Formats: sequence, structure tokens, C-alpha cells
Amino acid sequence: MCIYKIEAKTNTLFSHYFKTNYKSPGSLMLLINSTCRKISKGHNLQAMYEQFGVSNIRKIEGGSGPVRFRLMMSDGLHTMSSFMLSTQLNSLAEQNLVAPNCVCLLKRSVTNVLKDGRPVVIILDMEVVKPADQVPGKIGDPTPYVEGQSKAPQSAPSAPAPSARHLQPQNGGGTARDFGKKPMPSTPGGTSKVVPIASLNPYQSKWTIRARVTNKSSIRTWSNSRGDGKLFSMEIVDESGEIRVTGFNQEVDKFFSLIEQGKVYYISKGTLKIANKQYTSLKNDYEMTLNGDSTIIPCDDSHDVPMLQCDFVSIGELEARDKDAIVDVIGVCKSVEDVTRITTKNSREVSKRNIQLMDMSGRVIQVTMWGTEAETFDGTEQPILAIKGAKLSDFGGRSLSTLFSSTVMINPDIPEAYKLRGWYDKEGHALDAQSMTEMRGGGGGGPTNWKTLADVKNEHLGHGDKADYFTCIGTIVYMRKENCLYQACPSKDCNKKVVDQHNGMFRCEKCDKEFPDFKYRLMLSVNIADFGDNQWVTCFQDSAETILGQKSDYIGQLKDSNEAAFDEVFQHANFNTFVFRNRVKLETYNDESRIKVTVVEAKPVDHKEYSKRLIMSIRKAAVQ
Amino acid sequence: MTGVFESPKTRVNASMLVQYANRPVCFIGRVEKVHPTGKAFTLSDGEGKTASVELKEPLEEELSGVVEVIGIVSNKGTIMAAAYNLFRDERAITFDLELYNEALKVIHDFPQYYPFEMSSSG
Repeated sequence: MCIYKIEAKTNTLFSHYFKTNYKSPGSLMLLINSTCRKISKGHNLQAMYEQFGVSNIRKIEGGSGPVRFRLMMSDGLHTMSSFMLSTQLNSLAEQNLVAPNCVCLLKRSVTNVLKDGRPVVIILDMEVVKPADQVPGKIGDPTPYVEGQSKAPQSAPSAPAPSARHLQPQNGGGTARDFGKKPMPSTPGGTSKVVPIASLNPYQSKWTIRARVTNKSSIRTWSNSRGDGKLFSMEIVDESGEIRVTGFNQEVDKFFSLIEQGKVYYISKGTLKIANKQYTSLKNDYEMTLNGDSTIIPCDDSHDVPMLQCDFVSIGELEARDKDAIVDVIGVCKSVEDVTRITTKNSREVSKRNIQLMDMSGRVIQVTMWGTEAETFDGTEQPILAIKGAKLSDFGGRSLSTLFSSTVMINPDIPEAYKLRGWYDKEGHALDAQSMTEMRGGGGGGPTNWKTLADVKNEHLGHGDKADYFTCIGTIVYMRKENCLYQACPSKDCNKKVVDQHNGMFRCEKCDKEFPDFKYRLMLSVNIADFGDNQWVTCFQDSAETILGQKSDYIGQLKDSNEAAFDEVFQHANFNTFVFRNRVKLETYNDESRIKVTVVEAKPVDHKEYSKRLIMSIRKAAVQ
Repeated sequence: MTGVFESPKTRVNASMLVQYANRPVCFIGRVEKVHPTGKAFTLSDGEGKTASVELKEPLEEELSGVVEVIGIVSNKGTIMAAAYNLFRDERAITFDLELYNEALKVIHDFPQYYPFEMSSSG
């Protein structure tokens, strides 16, 4: 700190202010007035502060936006007019606390260099240490400050002011610039300092960052009433933080092909603005837009720049997270489903692929990937997958979906990945087969929500706004064979019940047509039981055919022709055990509410998988 | 001691045999070697450990695949078989010895919940 004082004495306030890094503690300024003497005596050693006398104040009323105040400040030697009061400090000026000749202490400020090189200081926090009425008049005889014209920056601390002499360090002459700062790599061209991403803000433009691209989007185009265009975005990271960078039109042409995901670049002169959290999950209040002045230069010496900053959440903990939360996960890609093409709400066709991801919590979650990522993904060798910024959904219990902004890394070179790989190869693979089963039990609709029938009642499943889904092992104890068949419209994809016209024709209200025939469909009420409870469930066509082991038309035929055989079908099906995936919802008819359970899928019990799951639950229960 | 068939036969794997000396057990394993005399064979369990089985009478059939043996464990840790049951065809292929072994461990780790030996006359 001593060094700064001396340097401050030997430089003028302004030249020092702009020549040194104003963020460093080296910006302590002294002003030739009583307050400053106090500082030099050590009464106020808050080194970040700078003191100025206000020479003039002007109110700027723009066409829109709040009133801004522009101050001319003097350090006793020079004046400078480009100080802007940030709007939250407007009250100081409005209440005339900041008035010509008052002495101010700048606590926080940032400097913007305009395109023509003129600096503008935005004052973020300021204190009036001596009101104007207590200052006799203008301090000193300041002249307008022009950078470079100051006679002061002669390097000599040879004639320090007496008041500061005792503070001079023995070794003398150190440069304030390096003091207490980690040396940063120099920038190519050396125009501006390499600064950490965390220090970027909209009030500065002269900076360079050195950061790794962790995610690069493809080019997206838009077309609306205001014209069309294209954009791409990327996420970059350094040891201090991360930020999202977007380039439009010309910048897409200029930079898109240059940027490679995973590489490190020097980036300077981007425009910073408040981040729109709707589109990004990055932990930064700002985001950057590339403009015509922006430069991006590859950096070869990049080993010290972190790869990707992830805050991995254990899959087991995802249950406790809120729906729509954006999370980072890492896991083993246990299994992969085939790519499917779906059509989105705005009738765009996209590829989608589901994978099952497992981590050391022993839990598996379904992750849905989209677009090219889904098409190109190869999960055959069970790679480690790290996903940054996946969206948690409550679809099928809990599942994850990648977003446009998500980064998917396959076998990333990070310690977590190696740890996970080791765990998986040693013990995890023994567990996972079991978990995979649970996924399959869900019929591809997300992780299986295994419940016993008693759980369903005790946990009041289906009482919420949305229907709940659960899977159970159940044994059929009774079936209502009466009315289990109905006559349905024979046309394809219409299963509406037809009305017998009693003239050999059957009418479908939905199709508004009459048919000479109908098809039998099943709607079977079944009572299923497990060791703890039982439950009435409704099975429709497919699940009813599964548990009866016969096609509905055959059953219909038997019903009409051979009642004994018809009964036998039901006799056969009784006391069989199935895996039932069910939808449960509280439904109200005539003011009477009752839980309605509909079987979504019934399938035979795979005893191997069932016992694996039981063994795992037993082991889990034993640990608790 | 009552006969093997009347008393409860604890399901064990190879490493548990010694603790069950002179007691009736049930052992399931994959046939490894059959002695030329046909009066003994070895089985490997779900952990890959082997157990020796001795028969009173020589085998009357070829033995391969998965076999369930019930018998009394000798002091040497061999199973003096009273009966065996060969898992044929499909069952020999699909039987998951490793999974069976996991189930065995559960039974032995939590005997309070799996009191299969309760009526053992000891």
C-alpha cells in the first residue's frame, strides 16, 4: 500500500487513475485538501477509494430512460468532465448533496473507454465527504486533463512529498501494477489485460478474456415480421466463471467456423448485457453479444484453463429437486434406445433418443437427447456421459432432457468421470442390470415408480392435480367377466362403442356411419393383490388380452358360442401374476370421489429381474 | 437325527458348507467334473467355488448343467447326497447361479426374516 501512496503523490490523480488498473488497490488518490491529509495520516486507509472535488454538475435528460447526472471532477491539478453518476446515486445530485466544490470519495467505479478512446467513469458508489458549503471554493487551479499530457508520470519517486516519505518501502520503486496480482498471460497485441470472466460487466469495454469454449450451438435462423437472420451461441469458461456468448449474422460468418468446442480463445470487445435467464443456466448475471469490434483469437497455451465447470448432482438426489430445475449430471450410459422422429407442437420434425444414465447413487434416470446429438450418439460401449445444464422433468417420475444450451460430453477428461468408470467396472455394473429392468418395466416411459398396493393407498397416489403412475407386481384374484366386452366401431383407429340398430346394422356416433359388423373390444375390471393389499383396476384392450392370454375377437366369439370355453379363459387367467403399470387418479362421479386405477401395461413377471430388484431393495433397507 | 428328507435343508453355497457339518443342506451348482466311478462329482456355485458331492450309488445318467443336491455335509465339507435333481434343458441354461447366490446371501444375512431352519431338530 505504501507504494501506491508514493506513486499517487508523484502522479496526478487522473493519470494514475487511468494508467493503473483502477480495480487494484493501487488507486488510492490523494487530494490536496484537509480530507486527504487525514488519509495520509492513516485515518482512512480504505485504499480502494478515490477522492475528487466536484467542479461542475450537469443534468442530462435523454429522450427516454432515467435522468443521468454528469460530473466534472477535479483532483486539484486537473479536471475531467466524463464522470457519470449511476442512476441509483441520482438522489445525491437531486438533493444537492453533490454540488460544485464538494469533496467526494469514490468508493466504487468502473471505467468505460468509448470508441474514440475517451474514458467515461461510471460512479457506482460515492460519498460526499465535505459538502460544498464547507469548501471555501475551487481547490487548486486545475486544468482539463488529457491523457498522456501529464507531466507527472516521470518514474521518479525521488522526490516524494514529505507527508508520504515515511511510507516509502526500503526497496523502493516497485510497480503498483503487479502488486498483489497473479500474473496473467499477456494478450496477443497487448492492447488490454486478460481479465477473469467474473469481472466482466457492461460498464467496461477494454478487456480480453481467455476462456475455453465448453458448448457451441449450431447456427439457428429466424424469420419474422422484422426480417430474418441467424445466430449461434457458445458457453465459455475460465477459472473465475462462465458466460454465454452469442453472435448474430455477420459475427456468425466471421466466427462460427473458427470456434471449436473445447478449445481456448482470447476474446475481446464483446457487448455485455443482463443475461436472460430463460435461455441460459450459466451462473453469470451477464451475457455477451459479439459485435463488429469483437476479436476472437485462438490460444494455444490452454492447459490451465478449466474444461468445464459442472456442479454434478447425484441422480439419487434428483427426486428431491424441483421440476424444471437445470442440473448437471454425470453417469454411465447404461443403455440406449433407438432414435425416433417426433413432430413438435410447431410441426417441426426432430430426432430424439432416450438413454438410461446411472451413477454411484445406484439410481438410473432417463435422459432424452434431441437433434443431431440424438442422431450421432453412440452408447454401445457404455460411455461416461457428463451433461451440463440438463432440464429435470417429472415425466414418468423423474427424467432429464437436454436443452439447446446443454453440453453433453462423452467420456470427459475429468476426475469424476474416471472415478465413475472405476466404480462402474468394479461394482456398478452388477447393480445396473437391475436398474435397467426398472426402466424397461416403465415401458420406455421413464423410470419405474415401483409401489406396493399398500403404498399406493398410504401415499395417496392420484390425489394430486395430475394422475400418478406406478408399477406393481400383482396377482389376479378376481375378474368381472360380465360386461368385459363391448361392441366397437369396426373402422380402423376408431374404438367407439357402436349402437345396435337391431336391423343388422351398428351405428358409430363418432364416425357418423352405420356398419354391418363390429369388433369386440375388452374393458375388464380386475382385482389384483399383492402381499399387503388389493386393488380394483381396469384393463383395456391390450392389457386385458395379455392377462387373458387371448385375443378379444376370439373371446367375443366364445362368449357368443361357447360359454364354458369362455369361462375357462377366465379360470385360466385367475391367480396369474403380472407386472402392472398403472395410472391412478382420483375421479369424482356424482359427488362421490374414488380412486380409479387404469392399467397402462400388463406383462409377465420376469422373475430374474424381479428378484434382482428385491435383493437390491433388501440390501438398501438393511443399510438404512 | 431325523432323515434328510424330513428335516429342513438349509440352502447354502460352497463357502458355507463347513459351518453346516453333519447337517442337511440343499446345494445348487453347475456340474464341473464327474468322478470316473460315477460315485462323486464336483459342482461350482454362483461364486465359482466348488463343492464335492458323494453318492451312495453310482450315477445312472450323464450329468451336466445345473444340479440341485440335498444331503448331509460331512466333516470334510463334502455333501453326502441323499438325492439330486438335474435342471434340464431350458432351465439349465437360464438358471442364474450368481443371482441365486445373491439370494442365498440375503437368506443367511437376515435369518430373522427367513427362518427356514426353525424346525431344525439340531
